[in-house]
Amino acid sequence: MVTDSITNASIPMATSNPKDFAKKKRANRSAKLKQCKLDARREQWLSQVKNKGCKEEADGLVHARDASEEPRREKREVSTHHYSDSDSPSNSPTSPTSSVLGSNSSGTNFTGSSRGSSSSSSSGGSCSGSLAGEDDDGCLDDWEAVADALVGTDDKQQQSNPISDPPLVQLGSHPELGHRKGSGVEISRPNLDRVEKVQRATPNSRAWKPDDAFRPESLPNLSKQHSLPMNSGRQYGCGGGVWVCKKVISAPSSCPICCEDLDLTDSSFLPCSCGFRLCLFCHKRILEDDGRCPGCRKQYEYEPVKGEASLDGGSVTFRLARSCSMITRS
Amino acid sequence: MQASRARLFKEYKEVQREKAADPDIQLVCDDSNIFKWTALIKGPSETPFEGGVFQLAFSVPEQYPLQPPQTGEICLDILKNAWSPAWTLQSVCRAIIALMAHPEPDSPLNCDSGNLLRSGDIRGYQSMARMYTRLAAMPKKG
Repeated sequence: MVTDSITNASIPMATSNPKDFAKKKRANRSAKLKQCKLDARREQWLSQVKNKGCKEEADGLVHARDASEEPRREKREVSTHHYSDSDSPSNSPTSPTSSVLGSNSSGTNFTGSSRGSSSSSSSGGSCSGSLAGEDDDGCLDDWEAVADALVGTDDKQQQSNPISDPPLVQLGSHPELGHRKGSGVEISRPNLDRVEKVQRATPNSRAWKPDDAFRPESLPNLSKQHSLPMNSGRQYGCGGGVWVCKKVISAPSSCPICCEDLDLTDSSFLPCSCGFRLCLFCHKRILEDDGRCPGCRKQYEYEPVKGEASLDGGSVTFRLARSCSMITRS
Repeated sequence: MQASRARLFKEYKEVQREKAADPDIQLVCDDSNIFKWTALIKGPSETPFEGGVFQLAFSVPEQYPLQPPQTGEICLDILKNAWSPAWTLQSVCRAIIALMAHPEPDSPLNCDSGNLLRSGDIRGYQSMARMYTRLAAMPKKG
């Protein structure tokens, strides 16, 4: 990953993004492969939530998030440690000293990142360090939403950056990495202001506003963390989460039957005229079962389905072409 | 198996999220088994079931959501041949509430109430349903 980002650094932002996109896609796929492990984690988390109080719940969330993060980067070990260090004390208001310690540890991490960004020709190590820290914070909102959202984050990110974020425009001319890093630092100076700006410019961008009725109660309360001295990176993390989580709303991301992510093939697969979408796997299972569309309960027609499959192949290439154009456009 | 588990976890999260949206339904998952759920359903107002709280035990098959969840004796088409994998435990509960508000005399579980309704004895049906509600779904007095 480090070498990756360094090669990226020499390329302008627009071209470095496809790479990032591909990277995220890859990560998403491997995340799917880890589904089995994740399930076990979730179950563990579930029982934790049931058995214990609020704090444990938050910790459980962190663990679960860690699990989903796992395949994403090699630097994870470091970043998650940093993360849980700074997070768990912040959730327990009764231990101010430990929270100070926790924030200190995150503080060193962030100064590391700022050091890295102050010089545009920064070393690979500090680059990835800041990246990992930032990304980890970006997952604060909901680990699963992030996993769901990874597929097409980048185009949104590109769209929202120049419009909603004046300070980022100037950074946008930097390489992708420098831009990210730079924003992480930038935020530590005018941080409240900036976060507000982001939120104002993209009002729907949060997956869940704090007062949103749909916001899962199990999510940790971010306002607590805002009150900490070392909150700049974290707040930016919320902003980062904004870009990531926006995807969840805009794209139908998962199969309504099995709740797995829809990949490109799945999302261009339209087996029934009623418009009910599902993944190919579930569609096959239903054909083996009673063969009725879950949306309208009409029988799936076998022959047209086959025709659809070949048609589907065509639309896949179309989709790919479109995603290419998305990348080149910005 | 894997699919049903993932789906049930998703539903669990959905239930947590929509707790406030559906105050008449309380869906609780067994602590140790995601395939066992308990639903507490309030009898809809302006029906003989008003004031009662009905407890349902859902047993979810491993083929879920291709197969409907199993529960007690409820004559409800969506729990049988009209099941669709797009339904959820929550929507099943909503359908049960709808069934309580609009009984189906042509497909009764309880033949007596079906006969009363079909013969036009709405009062008879209501008082019988109220009696059963009081017997089975209300806290015992004294």
